[in-house]
Amino acid sequence: MATEYVKFVDVTKCDGCRACMVACKNWNDLPAEQQDFLGSAQSHAKTTADTWNVLQYIEHENSKGKLDYLFRHSACFHCTDAACEKVCPENAISYTDFGTVVIDHEKCVGCGYCVNNCPFEVISLKEYVDKNGDKYRKAHKCTMCTDRLEEGLQPACVTTCHTGAMEFGDKAAMIKKAEERVKQIKDRYPNAMVYNPKGVGGTHTVYVLAEKPSVYGLPENPKVPTSAVLWKDYAQPLGKMMIGATTMGVIGMFISSRIINKGKQDEGGDSHE
Amino acid sequence: MVEINLNRRQFLKLSGATAVTLAVVELGFNEKKAHASTKEFKIAKSTVTPTICCFCGVGCGILVHTKDNTVVYTEGDPDNPINEGKLCSKGTTIRQLYTSEKRIKKPLYRAPGSNKWEEKEWEWMYETIAKRTKETRDKTFVVSEDGMTVNKTEAIASLGGAALDNEETYLLSKMMRGLGVTYLEHQARI
Amino acid sequence: MTNSWNDVQYTDCALIMGANPAENHPISFRWLTKAKENGGKIVSVDPRYTRTSAMSDIYASLRSGTDIPFMGGMIKYALDNNLYHKEYVAKYTNASFIVKDSYKFEDGLFSGYNAEKRAYDKTQWAIEKDAEGKPVKDFTLEHPRSVFQLMKKHYSRYDVDTVVKITGTPEDDLLKVYEAFCATGKVGKAGTIMYAMGTTQHTVGTQNVRAFAIIQLLLGNVGVPGGGINAMRGESNVQGSTDFGLLYGNLTGYLNAPTSTDKLNATLAGHLEKETPKTGYWSNKPKFIVSLLKAWYGPNATPENEFAYQYLPKGNKNYSHINLFKAMYDGKLEGAFLFGTNPVVGGPNAGKEKEALSNLKWLVAVDLWETETSAFWQKEAGSDPGKINTEVFLLPACSSYEKEGSVSNSARWMQYRWQAIKPLGESKADLEIIHELATKIKALYKNESGPAAAPINALYWNYGEGHHPDIDLVCKEINGYDVNTGKLIAGFGNLKDDGSTCSGNWIYCGFYPEEGKNRAKNRDKKDTGMSLYLNWSYAWPMNRRILYNRASCDPSGVPYNKEKAVVWYDAAKGKWTGVDIPDFVATRKPGDAGFEDPFIMMNDGVGGVFAPTLNDGPFPEHYEPYESPAKNPFSSQEINPTIQLFDGKFNERGFKADYPIVATTYRVSEHWQSGTMTRNQEWLSELVPHMYIEISEELAKEKGIKNKDKVIVSSARGEVKAYAMVTKRFKPHTIDGKKVHQIGMPWHFGYKGFATGDTANRLTPHIGDANTTIPEYKAFLCDVRRA
Repeated sequence: MATEYVKFVDVTKCDGCRACMVACKNWNDLPAEQQDFLGSAQSHAKTTADTWNVLQYIEHENSKGKLDYLFRHSACFHCTDAACEKVCPENAISYTDFGTVVIDHEKCVGCGYCVNNCPFEVISLKEYVDKNGDKYRKAHKCTMCTDRLEEGLQPACVTTCHTGAMEFGDKAAMIKKAEERVKQIKDRYPNAMVYNPKGVGGTHTVYVLAEKPSVYGLPENPKVPTSAVLWKDYAQPLGKMMIGATTMGVIGMFISSRIINKGKQDEGGDSHE
Repeated sequence: MVEINLNRRQFLKLSGATAVTLAVVELGFNEKKAHASTKEFKIAKSTVTPTICCFCGVGCGILVHTKDNTVVYTEGDPDNPINEGKLCSKGTTIRQLYTSEKRIKKPLYRAPGSNKWEEKEWEWMYETIAKRTKETRDKTFVVSEDGMTVNKTEAIASLGGAALDNEETYLLSKMMRGLGVTYLEHQARI
Repeated sequence: MTNSWNDVQYTDCALIMGANPAENHPISFRWLTKAKENGGKIVSVDPRYTRTSAMSDIYASLRSGTDIPFMGGMIKYALDNNLYHKEYVAKYTNASFIVKDSYKFEDGLFSGYNAEKRAYDKTQWAIEKDAEGKPVKDFTLEHPRSVFQLMKKHYSRYDVDTVVKITGTPEDDLLKVYEAFCATGKVGKAGTIMYAMGTTQHTVGTQNVRAFAIIQLLLGNVGVPGGGINAMRGESNVQGSTDFGLLYGNLTGYLNAPTSTDKLNATLAGHLEKETPKTGYWSNKPKFIVSLLKAWYGPNATPENEFAYQYLPKGNKNYSHINLFKAMYDGKLEGAFLFGTNPVVGGPNAGKEKEALSNLKWLVAVDLWETETSAFWQKEAGSDPGKINTEVFLLPACSSYEKEGSVSNSARWMQYRWQAIKPLGESKADLEIIHELATKIKALYKNESGPAAAPINALYWNYGEGHHPDIDLVCKEINGYDVNTGKLIAGFGNLKDDGSTCSGNWIYCGFYPEEGKNRAKNRDKKDTGMSLYLNWSYAWPMNRRILYNRASCDPSGVPYNKEKAVVWYDAAKGKWTGVDIPDFVATRKPGDAGFEDPFIMMNDGVGGVFAPTLNDGPFPEHYEPYESPAKNPFSSQEINPTIQLFDGKFNERGFKADYPIVATTYRVSEHWQSGTMTRNQEWLSELVPHMYIEISEELAKEKGIKNKDKVIVSSARGEVKAYAMVTKRFKPHTIDGKKVHQIGMPWHFGYKGFATGDTANRLTPHIGDANTTIPEYKAFLCDVRRA
């Protein structure tokens, strides 16, 4: 691939306005969801099938004992080695030439393996009812506005961000920028770091975080679980051959729920490499 | 008419695409629709009209995309130097001002003592309001006070207008003063 | 705003106080972020640690209602440490003026106080004049009765110890703010103050702004790029609607509405005499008043009938929001028009405002939505419809992009909005609604000739034949034209007082200088220098982007900061030039009278450190809020001695024995004002769906409240239910050695729309500022308990 593109999110420039959340809904025609009061300014606990990015609001006492009010635009990371892509039994999840990870809803059967295996918990299932009143499900998440990228436009969330907390551009350049930014802000945020985890081959959303990943509820070292690798590369082709896709779906669900300790893979699986 | 001419191609360039993303087009990415979506590009045939945000006093520029008699998208106007195509959550949402199911679409009237609205024709509303205004005004009009001509009514109030256009505030101010209204107030205080 | 949004990037220090732009004017942070990148500092002073505070370099907390001690201490700090801009203060402000010896200040009262009237005789604060009527000055600033020395004496009482005792600000934080902001007093440096309703909505609101003005003049920060006093303004056209006189006291363009309380107003000649100063730009006032009368009364305004001056209503009292609702509450009003406003949520002591509405015979509401106000008679509002006899007319208005017209932002930029789509359903543009109403009312009077008919028959209403008025005709009338030839007027300098010109709003005269050139429609985004964008839209007056920009240069006309020059005197050309339009007579040469006086709208040509025109004194003095948990350490005057008091049930007052907690209201990013526009939109309602209060961990513990609990907040006016958001961002203050808690709550909620909740304004008091009667929403007393 020639040039790789990433979304660079510098959370230390974000002022928490949430235009990114609405721009996403506006571009993707996503409906609003009824939300309970969560005890902070945050609207949704995490991303959902109809809310593909969520702004986190975190009150954090820093190492100097001072209050930091931290914000983070959270959405699909578009991993280079994406667990969701690995586990999908229908090959409904794929990489685009932009490096984004997208779901083909014609192929998706709503089995939920991707949901259970995402180390960042950004994929959700949405339930639909067909003409006959039967229920079916599809997995949803941020597409990085791949339809816009194809037309030469940036993702809607990036386009609207007024402080420059989000940029979309060449991966190497963005990572360089991120590294330089970390140096600049070390005085104010001694724990500041670039978050571009290697365990998933790097991501197509690169962050400058003001604090350690755990402060944002992010895994320090996310990995594609071994089980997912086994699944994709061995069990799935074999299984499909033997018992057919549907039954395999049921078994797969069982495997992924049992073996993969969702979202806490730090110790749970070996490195994909 | 609006003095911008955003054809499709120009629009791509205007819409905040940096040199980097323009390069995406030139490099020829576009070969496959890797995802399932086969629907037409959302704003492909939309009409684009610039406006100014209706919320706070910053005055951000917004582009309104309309297609098939509805609003399909709203986004920052990249030409407007105040916001350079950027918006906050409120500005981004103004699409729903048009699409919200809560908009009232017919004049509504509530009779004294009634517990409900009734739909009415505009003409009836105008005529009746004009009549009420005249009745109250005639009954309460003060021509002079302590020998000074004052030409006022202190029984009619006018409130609001901070979200109206300049031309509207001008006509409103002119009409209310013309009627002799002294209780004239808008949201500068609240 | 004296400056513009883009201009903020040039600041060396932005003091954000009484405002939370990261949440309420988010795009300002695009420019504040640039300022930071350019090495500028951002300072946030707020009772609550907000998202603005999170983005700032320095944060200082203070108790709501103590801005004057905070700023008074800063004035003292600047003076004591010699940090003020000496030349600017001596030459460009009235610090050198000598005040008459009748001026006194003792125990919180200025001389001339009448306790019965709760008012001052302001003549006691007058400036000494010489034989020619000019102020007596002492440029050394040493005369004991010079404004400078009086100011120094006044603020000598605002020492750091007393200040922190009453504000509750940690001393370290206070000094950090003083040091950072006063550093802009250095020649060539610029500091801006950005404020909003957190400053103004107090019984001392006007004086809070005055305190900002004093420090900005001391530091030489007015008229310079990156400087100024910038009121951010909460509505898209609150600037325009104020410019156009939708306030009882002003006709258009800040021309005072004539009152019957002054005998001179009996005639136009007397009114002009009373209103027109001999010096300063306002000496042209008769041209503006007569041109306005020509615009309103057209051919019916003649020299013989005083240009129809007698048709203007003459009030005799304060008609502002609180008084308006008091009149309604007392049954003195019969009818009301509401244009896009929702006082049952947005008004102070909103429960009483709702009650007042049922005293109306008729109510006309023009809105996109059914509001808590137009629906006040419904059962859901807690009303008994059968007992309410108000006739209600709800007219559907269309949204801003379903019509065309212009709005003026806080920086006075008049920007055009084009029509994107035709109005939804049967909704209509307000322009058409107002036009139809005016036409219909006029038609009813057509054949009448009584005293009530004469003024309305004389009103000139001529905007085309259709139902929808021709907006171009409205624009031309606003700008003004020669009434004989119809030729548009190029600028307000060409307006006449003989009836040969009309102009509906003189400050806008020049936006439409010739046929086909409505400059509000200008869309050339090229930066014409210093991010002033002179060819984008039109800024009144005369497209000037930085007001009083003459003050950015030294007395000889050389910019104080050459890297950030906007105007300067060009000796070769013999006139003023630059990248901004000089806010000054451009042809004035060195040696000409007034060449060194940059404040052309001020009668004396200089900035007012001393303001002897205000109702509550020429210098800001601290008084506690109407409802306060503390004793005023500066004097025995507890509350502002000149505020109007409303008695009885209309305004119950709470005291700290029953209500020990300070409360304030504010807005969030996702909702707007009374919430009508945003609670009816799903995406915004989703983001902030519930009414909540913010409460410190310490207070939560004392009250046994856990995060997400339902709580009841009570004040002397009522109770509201809300969720508790327990946060580290509120901390109790130590006031005079005692712990004082403060809570905050958004005021957007009501029971209509997608996002619903109790209305915070049921708690706020009906009390207002001494000059503007703006309600004191930002500091009142309450108590909190678990629901």
